[in-house]
Formats: sequence, structure tokens, C-alpha cells
Amino acid sequence: MSPLSAIPQATYNFGNMPGMDAMRPNTLPTPEIQAPTPLDQPGTVTPGQPSSDSFGSVLGKLISDVNTKQTTATAAVDGLQSGQAVPLHQAVIAMEEANVSFQLMVEVRNKLLDSYQELMRMQV
Amino acid sequence: MIQPLSGIQNTVAALDAERTRLDVISENIANANTTHGLDGKPYQRKVVVFESALQQAIGAGGNASLTPQLRVARIDKDNRPPVQIYAPGNPEADERGMVSTPNINVHEEMADLINASRAFEANLAVVKNEKSMAMQTLSIGKH
Repeated sequence: MSPLSAIPQATYNFGNMPGMDAMRPNTLPTPEIQAPTPLDQPGTVTPGQPSSDSFGSVLGKLISDVNTKQTTATAAVDGLQSGQAVPLHQAVIAMEEANVSFQLMVEVRNKLLDSYQELMRMQV
Repeated sequence: MIQPLSGIQNTVAALDAERTRLDVISENIANANTTHGLDGKPYQRKVVVFESALQQAIGAGGNASLTPQLRVARIDKDNRPPVQIYAPGNPEADERGMVSTPNINVHEEMADLINASRAFEANLAVVKNEKSMAMQTLSIGKH
């Protein structure tokens, strides 16, 4: 049993509320924005043999992505400060993206460390 | 590449476009009294034309897709005729004492300026909301 199995029942689908159809303009073209694809179902991973993208390489890719975001943000801010024609909002949004990516990385690291410490505290 | 703020490319494109519109409006206001433009004629009001263009975007799962994004199609000239005012002392006046001044109504430009800056603000609000949603999502499970 999944510990968070109660969550899907608790998430409301605001798009299907009664009366919403009247508020929705029907002249709009169908949006091309796609819903996020759901994650793969668990159970397909066979432990013991590292697949082509092992956990270490996934983590390494995350960290290098975060590094790329930080570099992009630094380049934008440098360009802004050295008088190049970088729009202000692009620099700020690049900084925000870098910030959120970094926070994501820190959260992953915290979770890893938490589970490691939990394991270390385990009585044998 | 991770996309922590996934829906934001459209907003960034819209911010770019609105920024261009604000630049053009400020050029119009600045030249509201220019009777002698680069071509020797009075300055002509400029108008920004927006269009929706398909842009390559990296969606969920890393697969590329085409999403429509706002961009500036072109910057056109307003073809309304120049306004004739009687100013015989002006060196630009013709033999009847009339001066051709730009076809710019500053009140109209101010209304456009408010419109463009509110549109910019709305897109900024989307960015802000997207960021706060991401940060709140990252704090799931914290106590």
C-alpha cells in the first residue's frame, strides 16, 4: 500500500466543476499545451544491475543542469551590467530559474541525507 | 535540461514583445513634435504588430514540441496624414504658413502606454505565480 494513496481522492479537478462551461469561451482554439505525462509505474526497475542511466548519472546530470542554469544567469547578469542589450526581465527570470533549480537540487540532497541518517540510526 | 518553471517560455516571449511595444510607444511620445524626421518629412507614428509563431519548446519528458508563442511580427507606420497647424513663424512652415506636425495624439499614446504596461505587469504576475508555485511544491513534506 502506498503511504500517500489517499492523495488522488483529495485532488480536485477544477476544470470539471458544474457551471464552469458557461464561463468558458467557446471561440478559443483548442490549446496546444499538453498535460504533463504521468511518471512510469514503479516495479519496472530491477535492482542489482545498474541501467544505462544509473542513479549516480541522473544525479550528476541534475547537478550539471543546475550548473548550466547558474552559468546562464551569470552570463545574463554580466551582459546587463556591462551594458549589452540584455532585457532586464530576461536576466531576472534566468536568475529565478537558477534559484528554483538550485532549491530543487538542495531538496534532493536533503532527502538523500535524511534517508542515509535514518538508515544509520536503524537498530540491528 | 530541467525546466523548473516549465510554462514560462510563453510568458518570456510575451514580456519581450510587450517591452518592444513600450519602446515603440516611448519613441512615438518622444517624437510627438518632430516636424523634420530622418526623411525630411514629419515623424510618422509607429505601430507594433504582434503575431503568434510556432516555437520549438522542450516539453515534459524531454520531447520537443511546437507551441505557439507571441512575437513582434513587424513595426509598421501609421498612415494617417500629418496634422497641419498654422504657425507662420516656424522655419518649417510652407508659403501658406502651415506646418506639418506628426500624426501623434499624446493622449492616445498614453492610453497605449497604460495598456502595454498593464500587459507587461500581467505577464510578470504569471512569472511570480509560477515561481511561488514551484517553491511551494518544493516544500511538500517539510514540517
